[in-house]
Amino acid sequence: MSDRHRGPGRRRARGADPHTLAGAYAMDAVTDDDRARFEQHLAGCETCQAELRGLRETTARLAAAAEVRPRAELREQTVRAAAQIRQLPPASAESPDRAAPRWRRARSGTPAQAVPAQAVPAQGTPAAGTHRGRRGRGWLPRLAIGIAAVFALVAAGFGYAMHGAEHRLNMAQSRSHVIANVLGAPDAKMMTGRVSTGGSATVVMSHRASELVFTAADLRLLPRARAYQLWLMGPSGSRSIGVLPAARNGMTGPMVVSGLAPGDAVGLTVEPAGGSPQPTSAPILMLIL
Amino acid sequence: MPDGQADRARRYEYSYVDVSHNGPGRPGGPQPAGSPPGRPGPAEPAAPPGADLATLLGRVARGDEAAFRGVYDQAAGQVLGVARRVIRDPAQSEEVMQEVLLEVWRTAARFDPAVGSASAWIMTLAHRRAVDRVRSEHSAAQRELRVAVARVDYDEVTEAVETTLEHERVRRCLASLTELQHEAVTLAYYQGYTYREVAGLLGVAVGTVKTRMRDGLIRLRDCLGVE
Repeated sequence: MSDRHRGPGRRRARGADPHTLAGAYAMDAVTDDDRARFEQHLAGCETCQAELRGLRETTARLAAAAEVRPRAELREQTVRAAAQIRQLPPASAESPDRAAPRWRRARSGTPAQAVPAQAVPAQGTPAAGTHRGRRGRGWLPRLAIGIAAVFALVAAGFGYAMHGAEHRLNMAQSRSHVIANVLGAPDAKMMTGRVSTGGSATVVMSHRASELVFTAADLRLLPRARAYQLWLMGPSGSRSIGVLPAARNGMTGPMVVSGLAPGDAVGLTVEPAGGSPQPTSAPILMLIL
Repeated sequence: MPDGQADRARRYEYSYVDVSHNGPGRPGGPQPAGSPPGRPGPAEPAAPPGADLATLLGRVARGDEAAFRGVYDQAAGQVLGVARRVIRDPAQSEEVMQEVLLEVWRTAARFDPAVGSASAWIMTLAHRRAVDRVRSEHSAAQRELRVAVARVDYDEVTEAVETTLEHERVRRCLASLTELQHEAVTLAYYQGYTYREVAGLLGVAVGTVKTRMRDGLIRLRDCLGVE
């Protein structure tokens, strides 16, 4: 593959959240390696399967918009050719995997039922199950586990930036404990927002635990004298959560925010490097909780 | 507009487009002389125009040629359109279109409506095959060339061959994306680039491109009212 030479990018991408590949995967904008990696992730991620299904319906609409008129003679040529081709029988009823997309079939080892190698994934949208209610429940916990894994990675990376192994360990442990609590909460909810100066922020919160976990991606690099500061903004004013740590691989955080109150919003502002007691500029992100 | 309403409106437009697809002048309509025995008409147990693609696939799975003609009439133009966008070469694109339709014929029994729509199934096959074709056949040098010319026309979708409601909606929704989302989505889908290639083309970080592809598609999905 001709992009194999892009070594560093490749390695970095490997460490990244496979979930973000959903868009590229839905558009076949992936290499075979990426595809295999994503399908592996997909097999255990029902949220991704549901999302992929929607994205595939979307790309089908892109295809519809590209429609052109084929030469008239191709029609009968194609029909005549079809008549010469033996059709695959329906997958047999004994196979419990009948409806399963290829990645699942391949894993469960029923080669006889698998679509031959030259065929692209038999069912383009491996969303099996999610929409049939079979495994409809419990996506949030799974989502939480997925996110928890990502956060744990980020947290580990974040920890290294600090001084002192002990401190690092304690911080990481207490943080990951809180993170796990929030992500595992039965009422965990995820929100994503665009940061007006560039990048995006994701919040997973639990009202029950009155805690949330904040991360940001691809925030614009600030001059040294400035920093991003996170706030809890409520009816009674703004409370500083803290200055965001430096980004690693484009990811910032996670930051844990406790003591949520009804009506609170998460706000992000740009402040002088050490942070400000109160916001001194307009928020570049507001997420109403 | 409440979701349900938007949804209904879309269905309405869809069926409108479908009808026009099968009207006179469409590949599925009466053809100039040349292959009279094969063309759909009163003499044939033809698929009803605009019949549901999923239903037709069910019949195709049982070897129903008339239903296969119906599938061809609804899907071939879109399959060819995708192939043309990605592959460029008209002859190769026609080959891929035929390969895809034959693959649909061959594997129709494996289509499962519970997993996605018939058109998503077919277009996924089509896009993947078109992309495989360019990736296997283009030497590195040719790909570089494609990269060089790519930026000129990634907005081609605005110059669609025919203006249908679907074109108009997609065009409008594409226009609602941010510039980077728009470029990432169109370069990937209509030109068949990998996200790493797109990152190189646009001079943007690989991770950013991946993200923009995903959130761009999500925004498109929401704009188009995809369920």
